[in-house]
Amino acid sequence: MIATFLQALVNGALAGAVLALPAVGFNTVYAVLRFPNFAVASLATIGAYAGWVVNADLGWPAPASLLAAFVVAGSVGAFADALCLKPLRPLGALVAAIGSVALDLVLQNAARFAFGNNPRGYDLTIFRNWRLGPIGIGPQEVEDAVLAVIAMAAVFLMLRTTRIGKTMRAVADNATLAESKGIDPARVAWAANFVGLGLTGIGGMLVALDTSLDPLTGFRVLLSIFAAAVVGGLGSIPGAVAGAFVVGIGEEMSTLLIAPTYRTAMGFLAILIVLSFRPGGLIGERAI
Amino acid sequence: MVCGYGATDEILHAAEIAVEAGELIAIIGPNGAGKSTLLKAIAGMLCLKRGTIQFDGRAIERTSARERAKMGIAFVPQEANVFPRMTVSENLEMGGYLEPRETRRKMAALTERFPLLGEKRRAQARTLSGGQRQVLAMAMALMVAPRLLLLDEPSAGLAPRAADELFATIGAIHREGTAIVMVEQNALAALAIAERGIALVDGRTVRNEPARAMAEDPEMRRLFLGG
Repeated sequence: MIATFLQALVNGALAGAVLALPAVGFNTVYAVLRFPNFAVASLATIGAYAGWVVNADLGWPAPASLLAAFVVAGSVGAFADALCLKPLRPLGALVAAIGSVALDLVLQNAARFAFGNNPRGYDLTIFRNWRLGPIGIGPQEVEDAVLAVIAMAAVFLMLRTTRIGKTMRAVADNATLAESKGIDPARVAWAANFVGLGLTGIGGMLVALDTSLDPLTGFRVLLSIFAAAVVGGLGSIPGAVAGAFVVGIGEEMSTLLIAPTYRTAMGFLAILIVLSFRPGGLIGERAI
Repeated sequence: MVCGYGATDEILHAAEIAVEAGELIAIIGPNGAGKSTLLKAIAGMLCLKRGTIQFDGRAIERTSARERAKMGIAFVPQEANVFPRMTVSENLEMGGYLEPRETRRKMAALTERFPLLGEKRRAQARTLSGGQRQVLAMAMALMVAPRLLLLDEPSAGLAPRAADELFATIGAIHREGTAIVMVEQNALAALAIAERGIALVDGRTVRNEPARAMAEDPEMRRLFLGG
């Protein structure tokens, strides 16, 4: 019993680390632009396909594939935002959010048009699970989690040490004041979209490595991403990380009690509990 | 200037102000007279409905807050005037966003002028007291050597001693050649360091005269200055 529990805990923590990437991306965009961009689902998928093209078609190793996932998802996301969502933002967060759902469907079907419905596989060696007593740990999952932590650390450093990173934090903190200091909101929006949605692309590829790659790869984790962001606190980067671990571990633990088919319901449950008792999220809002 | 917050709402009806280079002006008036609105309109935070704003002879009422910042107009709002989750030194860096090459030199000069900012440079701005925050907000505006500094209630919520120090600092900044327009509840203290006073009532400029004359005028004292 304890072994099953520990196994679920380890699996949940590894899944949480991967989930943290798109959740951090989602919250970065929310913190700077003040609306939930649901197109993260299809951008995760697009990142996963970009990584797949580089890995399986060109035969490049995983780090190069992840870089491709970041750049392609970030560029497509920033460009699509400037084209479709930017004009909607002055009409309010709700309008922009609904627009992002529409954008998500368009991008998802663009991916379907380009790559078809069949699942694709990456060209990576599969290793036997490590055994730690009664607990099995997949080297692939550990590698994914480590890569996720490195990507998040890089973004964290970027926000703390670079000029564009600091301006992103300034806009997240107080957009009016930032503009009166001469900071260009359009430039910061580009940067936030590129970095946030690029991270989502890496997250999408790591999810696809662990599950499968098809046009719905990102959509299947959308609820978990959104739940992680809300649980941690919308717009908060540390919150997104904490929320991702809560949701990842919660989903895995739930399989001990209920059928695995219902595990995504844990996302809804987490949102319900947090909004009822701590509406600002575990960490609080807007702390990038 | 005619200006307000919504489509129908109008706070400024006939406000008029002229600032000479290097001049210090105190704007006084009752609550709701439109004093802060006037500063926001000059800074570009609000659009004018009618009227004009000129800076160096150029009409700027259609330009953005960002463009006005580039021209040398710096605004220190009464509230939300710092980036709360950034450190003091990051706040100063953002204050000097438009002149990044000068950041290091300016920051050294300002931490010398306000030693408190040097001591707290790693502290998040939200942990500062009200007075410390006002000092930081003003220092952020000085990171770019503004030609016109707009101060909205700089002494609001400060203890008397902290307010005195702040007024002394404002006087010193003015003596270095920066034009300042200041909105103040503490009208006597503001008029004491200002060259000219402007009285605003119900969105209209009703008086515009030398600060000393305004401070000594019995009618003004009765109306705005508490006897």
